[in-house]
Amino acid sequence: MKHLVYLIIGIAVTVLFFILSCTDGFNIWELLYFNQGYNDKMYNLDMYPVIAAITILVAWGGAAIYYYAINSVKFDRWYHWLAVLGVVAVLAPVVCYIYNDTVFANNGLMYIGESIQFEMQTVLFAALLFIVASYSMRWWSSNCRHTPLPQ
Amino acid sequence: MRLFLFAIGGTGSRVLKSLLMLSAAGVRPLDENGKPVRDLEIVPVIIDPHKANEDLKRTEALLNDYRDIRRKLYGNEPNADGFFANRIVTLREIMSNTSVTLNDTFIFNLGAVENAKFREFIGYDTMNEANQALTSLLFANYQLENKMNIGFVGSPNIGSVALNEIKDSNEFKAFSNIFRQGDRIFFISSIFGGTGAAGFPIMVKNIRQAANLEGIENRDALSRAPIGGLTVLPYFTLEGNKHDQRIATSDFIVKTQSALYYYKNTLTGANDSNVNSIYYLGDQVRSKPYLYDPGEHGQRNNAHLIELIGAMAPLDFAGVPENKLTDPDGYPLPTTAYEYALAKDELSLNFLSLGHRTRQLIYEPMSKFHLLFLFLTTGFKDMIGQGFTEDAPKIKSDFLASQFYRTLVDQFLLGYAQWLTEMNDNMRSVAFFKPGEIDMAHAIEGVNVKKRLLGHYKVDNDVFKAEMNKLSKNNPAYSDRSVEFKLLDLFDKAAHNIFVERYENIN
Repeated sequence: MKHLVYLIIGIAVTVLFFILSCTDGFNIWELLYFNQGYNDKMYNLDMYPVIAAITILVAWGGAAIYYYAINSVKFDRWYHWLAVLGVVAVLAPVVCYIYNDTVFANNGLMYIGESIQFEMQTVLFAALLFIVASYSMRWWSSNCRHTPLPQ
Repeated sequence: MRLFLFAIGGTGSRVLKSLLMLSAAGVRPLDENGKPVRDLEIVPVIIDPHKANEDLKRTEALLNDYRDIRRKLYGNEPNADGFFANRIVTLREIMSNTSVTLNDTFIFNLGAVENAKFREFIGYDTMNEANQALTSLLFANYQLENKMNIGFVGSPNIGSVALNEIKDSNEFKAFSNIFRQGDRIFFISSIFGGTGAAGFPIMVKNIRQAANLEGIENRDALSRAPIGGLTVLPYFTLEGNKHDQRIATSDFIVKTQSALYYYKNTLTGANDSNVNSIYYLGDQVRSKPYLYDPGEHGQRNNAHLIELIGAMAPLDFAGVPENKLTDPDGYPLPTTAYEYALAKDELSLNFLSLGHRTRQLIYEPMSKFHLLFLFLTTGFKDMIGQGFTEDAPKIKSDFLASQFYRTLVDQFLLGYAQWLTEMNDNMRSVAFFKPGEIDMAHAIEGVNVKKRLLGHYKVDNDVFKAEMNKLSKNNPAYSDRSVEFKLLDLFDKAAHNIFVERYENIN
């Protein structure tokens, strides 16, 4: 039961993250990096929901792969989990950057510097979401349920 | 049911050690339906005046370790599955009558015998001349001068006099007080030595004639008790005794013949019901020679196949249905004699050399126990903090310093490894497991792991860890159990699954 509560809380936090990524008044992506022109373009081109979805998918996907596909006694140490977090924290901004760049290029825009700075946030959000996803789903993993910290 | 197990002499101690190893592996007596005998308590009593005997000391230490380990695992519960399943207790432990004072030990106190020379014990110096002359005819001078704290040095004629004292001992009284109808008695002894060859018939005589003994209880139950015995025939040779002929290998057969004639006439004859079941065991292939030691240097013989096979005799006896031991009125039935044969007459044995029934009884438990030995000595320490160790109850790093773990790994498993090595080095060589092999997939001699699509299945500590993780996940069975039980029970179940899934079936 306790584990189900963790999962529900994790899903709720993730949904909240997605909602806060789509809103106009308070947008979570504009908390740490704000550039009027760049952020307006992002919003107008409906890029925030996609960026948020990519970040969520990579973070939850990474956690799912670690806990249920890898799920090995050879990779059940905290540093194995940290390595996967590192991969997620790199992969998510890279994919988001490629997406940003593609959309901006299709619209005749170029924001290389801004995009790089913006994606620094993705590193943070992907890492945080990976932690949330880990604590949501790890309980049912046969070999890694106690990683990174014991229950 | 209680099985009172009298292990007499050096062979008795060594067979008992093998029984301990089998019990640690989880080998249990099976009834006629192949189900483990319920509510069984084994009460070993070692009878040996030679307290300095290394074989006795090693067995006693292992008995105490076994008892401590089992108590921690199952408490006083007689019925258990898995490792250390058989409950083994001392007489003191199950004694309710406090009028008899007993030490909490597995060793029969033969104080009166141990501390005297044989001539002092029989009062030789107080005899008249005629009796002294008669005594000198019956006993050689070295026998009269024998200080009995080194045993009876292969002289059953000493033992048959000295061990008659047993019936007056506190241990015998305690035993008779405890004994109830339905309990059984089993003797383990060799027939070609001194202590065992003499002790077995004397003990049987005293039990069967319990009605004539004073100061003991349950005389009727005792005199009707189902009695079994393992009589070990010659199986080892001695070396280095050129100038001391007190014990000579060349005498073993003659002594055996004489004793067998005596047994036939008094214990195990066709219509004799003194002993219900007698198990004869010996081997014409003799062991590697043991160092000649009549007792002064501690007598330490390597473990041997015969002792391992012999250890199955009391387990077999415990599983014999009551109606095959006693008649409807509760009186003992005449003797049934058992022998044992290997399936393959080889000098180096693996599990496939054993007959089907023996293999079924010991192959999986012994193999699982050996894998446990490898697991605990090579991989377990590094697993603490992950997987199953973190499920409740948690196995923390301080577990490695606990009394239980140290007793199990540093003492009992060390004794197990020594026992295996000794049997392996002996003749016939018991090579069930490859010496020094820590690769679990190749540790069992003659048994391969199964093939799969690409290559063979793997069996290593990681495989065990993964299986134990799986079994431990959300498993409420351990929530109110000790970490000790959890560790061994999980391993036992994991090992069973891995056995079925990954090893070739030889049963």
